[in-house]
Amino acid sequence: MKPPFRRILVANRGEIALRIIRAAHEMGMEAVAVYSDADATAAHVRAADAAIRLGPATPADSYLRVDAIVAAAVESGADAVHPGYGFLSERASFAQAVENAGLVFVGPPPGVIAALGDKLAARRIARAADVPHVPGTLEAVAMDRPDQLARVIAAAAGVGFPLLVKAAAGGGGRGIRRVVVQDELPAALVASSREAAASFGDGSVYLEREVMPARHIEVQLLGDSTGQVIALGERDCSTQRRHQKLIEEAPAPGLTETERRRLHAMAVRLGVAAGLQNAATVEFLYDRDGAFWFLEVNTRLQVEHPVTEMVSGIDLVVEQFKLAAGAPLSDRVRAAADRAPRPTSHAIEVRISAEDPARVFAPSPGRITRWAMPAGPGIRVDTAVEAGDRVPPEYDPLICKLIVHAPDRPSALARLRRALDETEIGGIQTTLPFHRTMLAEPAFVNASGLATTWVEAHWDGPASRARAVRIASLAAGLAELGGREAAQVPGMDSGASSEHGPAWRSDGRAIAIDRWPR
Amino acid sequence: MTHDRSHPAPTTIAGPMGDAGRAEVPDGPVDPRAVRVSVSASARLDGDPAITVSPSPDPDMRLPQDGDPGSPLPLVDGVATAVRLERFGDVRARLVESTAGSTGREIRTDVQLGPVRIDPRHGTRLREVVVDGWRIEVEVEHERRAALRERARRGAGVASHGGPVEVRAIIPGRVVAVSVVVGDSVEAGQQVLVVEAMKMQNELRAPREGSVQRVGVAVGDTIEVGDLLVVIH
Repeated sequence: MKPPFRRILVANRGEIALRIIRAAHEMGMEAVAVYSDADATAAHVRAADAAIRLGPATPADSYLRVDAIVAAAVESGADAVHPGYGFLSERASFAQAVENAGLVFVGPPPGVIAALGDKLAARRIARAADVPHVPGTLEAVAMDRPDQLARVIAAAAGVGFPLLVKAAAGGGGRGIRRVVVQDELPAALVASSREAAASFGDGSVYLEREVMPARHIEVQLLGDSTGQVIALGERDCSTQRRHQKLIEEAPAPGLTETERRRLHAMAVRLGVAAGLQNAATVEFLYDRDGAFWFLEVNTRLQVEHPVTEMVSGIDLVVEQFKLAAGAPLSDRVRAAADRAPRPTSHAIEVRISAEDPARVFAPSPGRITRWAMPAGPGIRVDTAVEAGDRVPPEYDPLICKLIVHAPDRPSALARLRRALDETEIGGIQTTLPFHRTMLAEPAFVNASGLATTWVEAHWDGPASRARAVRIASLAAGLAELGGREAAQVPGMDSGASSEHGPAWRSDGRAIAIDRWPR
Repeated sequence: MTHDRSHPAPTTIAGPMGDAGRAEVPDGPVDPRAVRVSVSASARLDGDPAITVSPSPDPDMRLPQDGDPGSPLPLVDGVATAVRLERFGDVRARLVESTAGSTGREIRTDVQLGPVRIDPRHGTRLREVVVDGWRIEVEVEHERRAALRERARRGAGVASHGGPVEVRAIIPGRVVAVSVVVGDSVEAGQQVLVVEAMKMQNELRAPREGSVQRVGVAVGDTIEVGDLLVVIH
């Protein structure tokens, strides 16, 4: 197969940059990386054929610099730019700048990104395509017209309380305010609009009913330049906290084939109506009555794309490159889409982040001292870090995606449990214990309690940590009694011989062998 | 990883073992080898207990099983406890807890032990232990020294109440706001700084009331764990 491009530039960092570079190399393309000063020696820089510095660590000075990235692409002789997720991936002006420079943007056309990135416009497209959207308003609240307040209050009463005030340009949970009673509405409108203006440069806000309890189910779309759009199955991402996903799986547990066909058809209708090309994801809320409500569209590759890849057998990044070069949807992709309503395997992804689940998921950047990843059948690890690396505080805390694939959900859960047992990370606190606890949680294991609000309602970090504190204290105390070990002097390797005295070598090994369960 | 396996009940139990696998030991002088283990100050959460671990004072106090006489039981907070540590090289180890009596079982938990390092400020030994994905940094010191320090701290308690308090960085990041200047009076819990780390803004609050004696950082500074941020007098 002839590579779709000769050389591509990856406008991202971390695991997703490495993921895209790997696909490029497998397709016979050269890859150019960009990096900030914090990432000068990072894995994506080492893996690329060439790397170009963007600037200091702060995203605004590096990975968010449209001019510098387009210049790097032109200068390095790249034919196409892949934006990954986050950073500039959903910024229409970036896609436009790439096209204006005569290069191909690997993603939907700038006009589609702009239309679907405006949540109000996306809701209007959904209505036109006969896709039910979450009930609420379809026009921005007139914030500059205090005389219109009565109309807004009437609209709010029509939507019903509690409701959410949301930013039209929103993302990542920013600009959202929950309103329980009417009196709170004016203040929430002002706060949300101000936050949206500060975060996105657009203070437009609208009202949306709070659908609760609900599951988050999203559909993976691919589209080509002839206007053909297919659905490659759905993912359940209900285990989330403050709109940040923690665990994702494909297919969504418990849906019937009929429900899947209805859901996939709605997403395709919306994609066709929007003129979608390349890859995008349509997000829905699924309520207790079995209704799907359109939420928003992400016009990019998703963090959780690997679960769809495992179940469909389609490499989404490879397809993105082919589609960007103008190829039609392949027979392989069409066949996978035809199979999607009747899935025959199951995949689960857990996001391992540098966050402390005992301290309300506060960031815990730092140096990784130990890093042992699981292996064996059905395991995929997407990461760009290793022991000795420093997790910089400037970027997203996601450091590793652990994905398991198995014939069905129970065996995928068993495989995930086994994989988490094999995972060893030292030096920084990660979300690993959260994931281990979820695998013992009946609400998750039976899929009976999947809901976007579950984690905030049930997760008790300190309680989950208490047993570990007792075990750690006992282990450290007994290790101390077993022979006082030499302390490590900073900058000096203590050497294996001084680390453990004769205590473990003679007794420890003998005990370990003799006491094996009989 | 935790394994919970049943094994045949022991045929004899030496020493005054109860069903819990623990036995009371009479009070006596502190064993010079005894150590106190607590979660280190930077990692501690409210309610994290400290424990004292010391070697068995009585070599006959054992938990035999399957005809094996067993090893002498260590004391945990003065109580003989059926627990042992099996080590598999420099880092990996397994803590094995036994329960005696008719329900005799072993609960095995895999742990990773980091290297010992010395706390430069207090001279205590610090060690990272990872259990079930939790990274717990513990502080280990001789029980006698810990008791001495505690007494000294209690004695100085009243005097030190009015002394300066140093607020240090517990996460690395970038200072995005400084809400106080030298000379300001602050209430306990009042915001003094905002630090941005990993796209999240974290407010740092005054640990107690007082006046700001020193501000060690400015907006835009990049800070590391342990950096002095503010001194409150």
